[in-house]
Amino acid sequence: MRRRDRPGALQRVGGYAPISSYAAIGDGRTVALVASDGSIDWLPLPEVDSPSALGAILDAERGGRFALAPELPYTAERRYLPGTNVLETIFSTSRGKVLVTDAMTVPAGGLGPLRELSRQVQGLVGSVPMTWSVEPRFGYAAASTRLGWRAGVPVATTGGDALAVCCFEAGAPELAAGVIRGRFEAHAGIRALVALCATHQEPLVVPTRDELESRLEATAAFWRGWSDDLTYAGPWRDAVIRSALALKLLVHAPSGALAAAATTSLPEEIGGERNWDYRFSWVRDSAFMLNALLGLSCAPEARAYFWWLMHASQLTHPRLRVLYRLDGGARAPERTLPLEGYRGSRPVRVGNAAAGQRQLDTYGELLQTAWLYATTGHRIDRDIARRLAEVAELICQIWRQPDAGIWEVRSEERHFTQSKMMCWIALDRARQLADSGVIPNRHAGRWRKEAEAIREFVETRCFSEQKRSYVRSADSDELDASVLLGVLFSYGDAKTDRWAGTIEAVRRELAHGPFVRRYTGEDGLAGSEGAFLTCSFWLVESFARTGRVNDAIRLMDELVGLANDVGLYAEEIDPTTGGFLGNTPQGLSHLALISAALAVAAEAER
Amino acid sequence: MSLWGAIAGGFAGTLVLTTALRAGNEFNLTRMDLPFLLGTAFSSDRTRAKALGFILHFLAGLVFALIYYAIFVAIGRSGWWLGAAFGLAHGTFSGTVLVNTLLPLIHPRMGTPSTAATSVALLEPPGFMMLNYGPQTPLVSLAAHIAYGTVVGGFVSLAG
Repeated sequence: MRRRDRPGALQRVGGYAPISSYAAIGDGRTVALVASDGSIDWLPLPEVDSPSALGAILDAERGGRFALAPELPYTAERRYLPGTNVLETIFSTSRGKVLVTDAMTVPAGGLGPLRELSRQVQGLVGSVPMTWSVEPRFGYAAASTRLGWRAGVPVATTGGDALAVCCFEAGAPELAAGVIRGRFEAHAGIRALVALCATHQEPLVVPTRDELESRLEATAAFWRGWSDDLTYAGPWRDAVIRSALALKLLVHAPSGALAAAATTSLPEEIGGERNWDYRFSWVRDSAFMLNALLGLSCAPEARAYFWWLMHASQLTHPRLRVLYRLDGGARAPERTLPLEGYRGSRPVRVGNAAAGQRQLDTYGELLQTAWLYATTGHRIDRDIARRLAEVAELICQIWRQPDAGIWEVRSEERHFTQSKMMCWIALDRARQLADSGVIPNRHAGRWRKEAEAIREFVETRCFSEQKRSYVRSADSDELDASVLLGVLFSYGDAKTDRWAGTIEAVRRELAHGPFVRRYTGEDGLAGSEGAFLTCSFWLVESFARTGRVNDAIRLMDELVGLANDVGLYAEEIDPTTGGFLGNTPQGLSHLALISAALAVAAEAER
Repeated sequence: MSLWGAIAGGFAGTLVLTTALRAGNEFNLTRMDLPFLLGTAFSSDRTRAKALGFILHFLAGLVFALIYYAIFVAIGRSGWWLGAAFGLAHGTFSGTVLVNTLLPLIHPRMGTPSTAATSVALLEPPGFMMLNYGPQTPLVSLAAHIAYGTVVGGFVSLAG
């Protein structure tokens, strides 16, 4: 799948490229974002949740970038190499064409840099003058960066971090005012290479050209091998496989945790304050994650993810944090950075204060995840089983409390409908696990009784006869697309009038074409936001699960067409411009896409 | 003064030295990683190199403790303060000669100012006082070596 950008389509505003112009490359430890004009504007080092070394996406002037492009006007067309996270960009100019291949390489034996980002330039036709420049700005541009040379190689250093810029046939590198740069003529047949070789708390390793090229090839082979093992033959296969590859980029290799997105503080509203750090793993995403991994036959990743989740949540057992760090830590203190923010969207936040919120739905997602894991033939050991039973006990005690809800509102806590539904789901799944002997059943009677009480609460106080819909919170008339999760996770029978009415109300009042807003009503924050892509996919899945397969297919077709030129999604989309908003690539958007595709495929088969 | 005191001091001192250097890494004061530097002379596998490097570093710590002991015996005096002075000299020697000059000569993967095209990945050379690994590196290294010398001197003197 190769898609063509319109000539000159990438218009930077104040130095900022559209969020939809970014492709992601990564190595299971960190992720770089490459704009379609060849500029890498985001690269945290050494991990995806570390401070940025290239951060122009958050401050175009000071953030730092790695630009590589023709010196002449050009058009660009991009694709990922099929089945990989290796990006190819063809720049066409009046004097010829070049192919740029970008990848964060994976280790392939031998001594290599801690992190390696390779950019290979192949001359295809004619002769194209190329220019490149690396402006490293460590520590979210707050650390002082020194430029120098080591054995003839330009390096940038600060405190515990450093990177070397290794170039071959890419012109003689020069150092100038915080920039390492070069220019060269890309004749047809030439193969130039510029690589960032980064380290953290270690001496730098400077690889040879052969090593760099061989790792680039090995990286493409690694991704192809991984995606070849995915078993999905249903509709929208390209989008599903691309989503799986995007998710694999977000999986933190040492722990198996899934980062919600690769970035921080890309705004939900341009110029607004809804800017959050998503480089954490949300328990909220767990059930979708396991469902997607199991649905695509990624058993090793499913096991790793489940055990990471159990390990991380042990720290706070039986209570759950909303999110955990990728290394499993529970602390994520939020602070703001003195950066301009994407197109002036301040504050730029790192850390996430939602970590300390009470969100009751997370318990439902945890037990749904455990239920999925156990019912697909995986073994849950006695210790984990005991802990799951204790979580169910806790839910019996706390479900009556108000919470911040799945959308992490910063206004007063409420009795959110989706939270209560997920508490019911938690107790229902716990009872099923107990009935099948997976977890202790000593308190199963109490779980059943409390589940009935939750259902009574939801059915009497969280349903509006006037709207014919489940509503956002008890005794309100506001709507919330997250209640659709009740259909997805089987809160009762999906084919009831109440669910039919709710789906219709969401479509009628929250949807505009393929775009679905999260909710109506206030959330404690100024401004507004775009349409939440995940909710659109949830609507697809809800259609499918309630027998409206044709509606599901129609909407899914539209949504698949909304991906950017390389098949990625951010968190939100602006319904008026179609531009992406929020952090990117967004794990939940891709998880919801996979889940919707699996559901439609399953319904279509019936 | 006893030989066993020197060996015990060498072991404890190397523990302190290694911990101090690692703490320097964690606080982003330096990128110096002696086990990594030593281990990569023998293995291109990162994990193996670090494991081997730790063993070599501990052995080197014991050897230096024995050298300290020999000097204590030769001059007929020992003590923690004398050990600290030896540590200062040792740290200075390490930064200027041992790691800066000698290690690149024998390390098969370490670049030098005269390095040209190579067939293997190069390790960043340390530079004078290992300043390439960060401007705070000499301070961290000297402090760690002084701590090492203090422990060795103290152990030798306590061992009577």
